[in-house]
Amino acid sequence: MKSPVFKILVIGLGAALAFAACAKKPSEPSGSETAKTLRIAVIPKGTTHEFWKSIHAGAIRAEGELGVKVIWKGPQKEDDRAQQITVVEDFISSGVDGIVLAPLDDRALMRPVQDAVREKIPVVIIDSALQGSDYASYVATDNYKGGVLAARRLGELLKGRGRIFLIRYQEGSASTVQREAGFYDTVTKEFPGIVLLVKDQYAGATTETAYQLAENLISRFPDVEGVFTPNESSTFGTLRALQESRLAGKVVFVGFDSSPKLVQGLRDGDIHGLVIQNPAKMGYLGVKTIVAILRGEPVEKVIDTGVVLATKDNMDSPEIKALLSPDLTMIKD
Amino acid sequence: MSRQRRTGVGRALNLFGPFIGLLLVIALFALIPEVQGRFLRAANFKSVATQSVIVALGALGMTLIIISGGIDLSAASNIALASVITAYAINAGAAPILAILLGVLTGGLVGLVNGGLVTRLRLVPFIVTMGMMGIARGAAKWIAGNQKIDAPMTWVNELMSKSPRPPWLLLAPGIWIVILFAVAMAVLLKYTVFGRHIFAVGSNEATARLCGLRTNQIKILVYAISGLFCGLSGVMEFSRLTVGDPTVAVGLELDIIAAVVIGGGSLSGGEGSILGTMVGVLIMSFLRNGCTMMGWPNYIQEIIIGAIIIVAVALDRLRHRTA
Repeated sequence: MKSPVFKILVIGLGAALAFAACAKKPSEPSGSETAKTLRIAVIPKGTTHEFWKSIHAGAIRAEGELGVKVIWKGPQKEDDRAQQITVVEDFISSGVDGIVLAPLDDRALMRPVQDAVREKIPVVIIDSALQGSDYASYVATDNYKGGVLAARRLGELLKGRGRIFLIRYQEGSASTVQREAGFYDTVTKEFPGIVLLVKDQYAGATTETAYQLAENLISRFPDVEGVFTPNESSTFGTLRALQESRLAGKVVFVGFDSSPKLVQGLRDGDIHGLVIQNPAKMGYLGVKTIVAILRGEPVEKVIDTGVVLATKDNMDSPEIKALLSPDLTMIKD
Repeated sequence: MSRQRRTGVGRALNLFGPFIGLLLVIALFALIPEVQGRFLRAANFKSVATQSVIVALGALGMTLIIISGGIDLSAASNIALASVITAYAINAGAAPILAILLGVLTGGLVGLVNGGLVTRLRLVPFIVTMGMMGIARGAAKWIAGNQKIDAPMTWVNELMSKSPRPPWLLLAPGIWIVILFAVAMAVLLKYTVFGRHIFAVGSNEATARLCGLRTNQIKILVYAISGLFCGLSGVMEFSRLTVGDPTVAVGLELDIIAAVVIGGGSLSGGEGSILGTMVGVLIMSFLRNGCTMMGWPNYIQEIIIGAIIIVAVALDRLRHRTA
């Protein structure tokens, strides 16, 4: 009876060693780090969207400039509130010096942030707001202003009248709710001739769900004249639906955020405007702000990273180009 | 049931098999100097335990279902539905205890319907619960008005607090609830007639029926109990999030099933143990925790957990062949 016990142990140990060996690699660069280097955890809402990659790039730039160690880690499933809470808790346990967090929910992440502050780990919030005032600073786009910019662009191109969709992203995501509010308020206030055919439909978390929603809306209202979408996945999903139904270019379409496909859409004239944020700056300033706090320097409670409108005409100017096609080469993993 | 006539070593191995995996995972991170000091702290173990509560409660019920030869794909949707119901009730001004009860009973009702459909319509559990997965998720979104429900803070949110009140509890009340129910379910499975009947149904349903067991009743009861655990798990999810979120826990049913399988449960029924399942839950939680502490990217974690599932089941087969 001894041999099976032995066999199992050998297999188990072998497996564990294999994991250890293959898993060890990515952490190697940090192995030589001295104990004094500040360790900053940067926690995005997800890791696959272009937007978060830009934030990552910005954080890495700050890492190099400030001589700190940035640990980049999102929830295992994109947009899963419970898993993001787990990530924050695990970083608190691991004793990082500071946390930069893009909260998936303005309420659900309050308690983990309180826990961090209780453990003397300061937290800087980026991208989306958090209720309460436990965090040290809030570095984000003025999202409301982004919605206003989009509404004005759409209103001007439609010459103040037309039938449009306001496609929303997801409830509880504070940043997109503010964009939608900025858009809605501006359209109703400044362009009374514009009719909102749809204003309470949610595109959901993925390109696929946005695609389906837009397709269904287009078949319900084939005479739509304008569309606004508040983030990258909803913009891309809607773009695909417009292209499929041969409405792209005919319908005035203003979206939010950028990706190579969206930039191509802008160049082809399928998209008439993209409100773009500065995610690289957000990642950069997020890390810079937390380091300033850790080094005892004063910081602003709210830091705006700015929005601009990219159109076919201005998309090749150097500053817009840098925002539309951010340099992501510094990200290694 | 030849398992009871095992030799000493074989039985010990069967009992401690899952523990070897858990110890290996803990040892793996405990040996990495970068996280060693932090990983082995009591505070970290406490936080891992709290993170395990939701999957653990779901897995208690899933263990019964898997032993009985079934499967429940609607577990995660059921958890989301119960969390939404709880938040909704608290928001509507119901007493917290009533809200909890409603959440748990909603879960139980979904389980009961699952069991009823499986037995009365004679459908494969996979299909019934796959349908229920959509129904429960849709119902959750409908009740929540397609958004999350912000409920006022009550003592319900203390259930999953890492610093419990009163402090002599040491662990979050949710953890104690899991321990309590785990013991209860282990006793139920091992020492009660109903427990042995579940094994009989899972090992060979036709024989069990010929022996005079009311297999349909047993199955309905198993699904209903499992539903109640999902409901309780949903209450804990609400307690942790402080909001009722209909989109929470998407795909969690696979984590729950994986925990049972890692712990020695067989998808063809008739095998599994509560202890093994709980160890399975902890293995996955510790892996997540350790990987985050190391700052490893998510894909490494996903690959490791995937590999663990296969290795665990392979080990289990090996154990069977030799015992």
